[in-house]
Amino acid sequence: MQVHWRNNTDHFEKRHQTFLSVTVCVLPSQAKHSEHHEGRHYSIPLEEVKAVFPHGLPSRFQQQIKTFNEACLMVRKPALELFTYLKSSNFAHPAVRYVIYGEKGTGKTMTLCHVVHYCARQGWLVLHIPDAHLWVKNCKELMKSSYKEERLDQPLQASVWLKNFKASNERFLKEIKTQKTYVWGKQESTEEGRPLGEVVEQGLARTRNASDAVGVVLKELKQQCQRGSFRLLVAVDGVNALWGRTTLKREDKSPVSPGELTLVYNLRKLMMNNWNGGAIVTTLSQTGSLFKPRSAYLPQELLGKVSHGLPPPSFTMGNRNPGWGTASGHGGRVCFSLSSHNIL
Amino acid sequence: MKLHTPPRTERMAVDQDWSSVYPTAAAFKPASVPLPIRMGYPVKRGVPPPKEGNLELIKIPNFLHLTPPAIKKHCAALKDFCTEWPSALDSDEKCEQHFPIEIETVDYVSAGTSIRNPKARVVTLRVKLSHLNLDDHAKKKLIKLVGERYCKDTDMLTITTDRCPLRRQNYDYSIHLLTVLYHESWKTEMWESEKTEEDMEEYIWENSCSQKNALDTLLRIKASENVSNVTKEELLASEVVKNYRNSVIALKNEGETENNMSQYKESVKKLLNIQALP
Repeated sequence: MQVHWRNNTDHFEKRHQTFLSVTVCVLPSQAKHSEHHEGRHYSIPLEEVKAVFPHGLPSRFQQQIKTFNEACLMVRKPALELFTYLKSSNFAHPAVRYVIYGEKGTGKTMTLCHVVHYCARQGWLVLHIPDAHLWVKNCKELMKSSYKEERLDQPLQASVWLKNFKASNERFLKEIKTQKTYVWGKQESTEEGRPLGEVVEQGLARTRNASDAVGVVLKELKQQCQRGSFRLLVAVDGVNALWGRTTLKREDKSPVSPGELTLVYNLRKLMMNNWNGGAIVTTLSQTGSLFKPRSAYLPQELLGKVSHGLPPPSFTMGNRNPGWGTASGHGGRVCFSLSSHNIL
Repeated sequence: MKLHTPPRTERMAVDQDWSSVYPTAAAFKPASVPLPIRMGYPVKRGVPPPKEGNLELIKIPNFLHLTPPAIKKHCAALKDFCTEWPSALDSDEKCEQHFPIEIETVDYVSAGTSIRNPKARVVTLRVKLSHLNLDDHAKKKLIKLVGERYCKDTDMLTITTDRCPLRRQNYDYSIHLLTVLYHESWKTEMWESEKTEEDMEEYIWENSCSQKNALDTLLRIKASENVSNVTKEELLASEVVKNYRNSVIALKNEGETENNMSQYKESVKKLLNIQALP
């Protein structure tokens, strides 16, 4: 970190000035962020943070919010690029998949959060999976799926995700209706035409069915998005977990491949571009990935051989220049500018 | 008391014949070498010790007997035993064109009772594959058969043989190996049809998942715009698909570089018609 500061002292002076100007003036609404806002921070009101990001932000950033009592996101160039693409995208065409890649600490997760916030403000339905790596490792309870014999359920992870999904998308869950009857058990079933929120409640009430509830939610959203009543943004962080290896083992110690987990299987179906009416934004992350070296960050290195067989990601945006937005650099800058703010 | 005569170095002329001072390999003699050499670790605030009585200089091997004029004399003496270089072969390319196979052998001479050296039986055969008459399949098969002995950068196949006791036998064996490799690589066995994608040396786009998916996506886009009757061949021949194909092949074969990634990104943008608003 010391070396970093020495190299970027000229950055500090410049950043110091721009942050001062941000605190003084009112930043235009987020939809109007353009190139000359690049490098500046904009703050999200704390109530919105609770509503939009129940589970999206990195833990360090959450600590930062608690410390400074404000959530300031930096406007980065890849995020601005993504906004132009999203604004001009044609929703009758199949969903375009965007992949954000870059070295460690360049701001991929924060860019994704920025995009999620933008889409939430525009009224899209945001399906945010904060870290796909959490679904392929450290699972305390692995159960055999009741729906399909060879698949495995993860009740804890599924119920946690359902809770957070409900917190951020209450409005949509009341409006969207199911299109099929789903039978959960001998006496429990969800009829056709009931709001999707009931499926989520069922998953939360009975953790045994949580993973299947997640599958139902994903399927319904994918089908109904094509009608055009709402826009769907699928934001997945660490998408390379879906096609890698897991550290999970069955009771007979045989390894589990990601395709055999219900959650991953259903998410993979959403990742295909055979639906329209929305966009898929993903990040590749080595932090938290399994069996990948620390220096890997390029798409082919992290996605592995499956990138041959996968339908190709529609395109990629590099997050370069760790000097621009490293976590340590970012934290350093905020501290610096905050002290000057206090002096003022 | 011993009389100290001045060393020989003071009586040496500048233009003397050095090869008579050191005609053969000999230890370093400080009185015979007129150079002010110092060698060794210096004491504190001192200099390295001088050459007189310096064991370090005597221990190390020296090449005082192999100065350029001495070597010229050696060559002049050996010239009587050599034949003339053919005048038609005056450039490297001509040598390679007429004599594509190079054979390397080493002879060893040492001071001792025996003239034999077991290392002298090693024979190295080098040939460039571009001089051999091989088609695409034969070349790939030969490279697979030969493994580590082929260098891709210089296109050189190197066969080293030392399994026979005599040099002549090793030479015959290496020629035999080359012949066998050449004929075997031209044959196609039945089991070669089971070659899978992992065995392929380079990425081929035709009939791959990437091509299928790109065509699927394009067909869906066209369907959503109600443009029908667009055939696969038309799509394949279009500019955007060709661009995409080239960028994917470059990515897979050459690995990922900044250039490749940006090329891929541009080609996908054109393929899916994504425009960035100004």
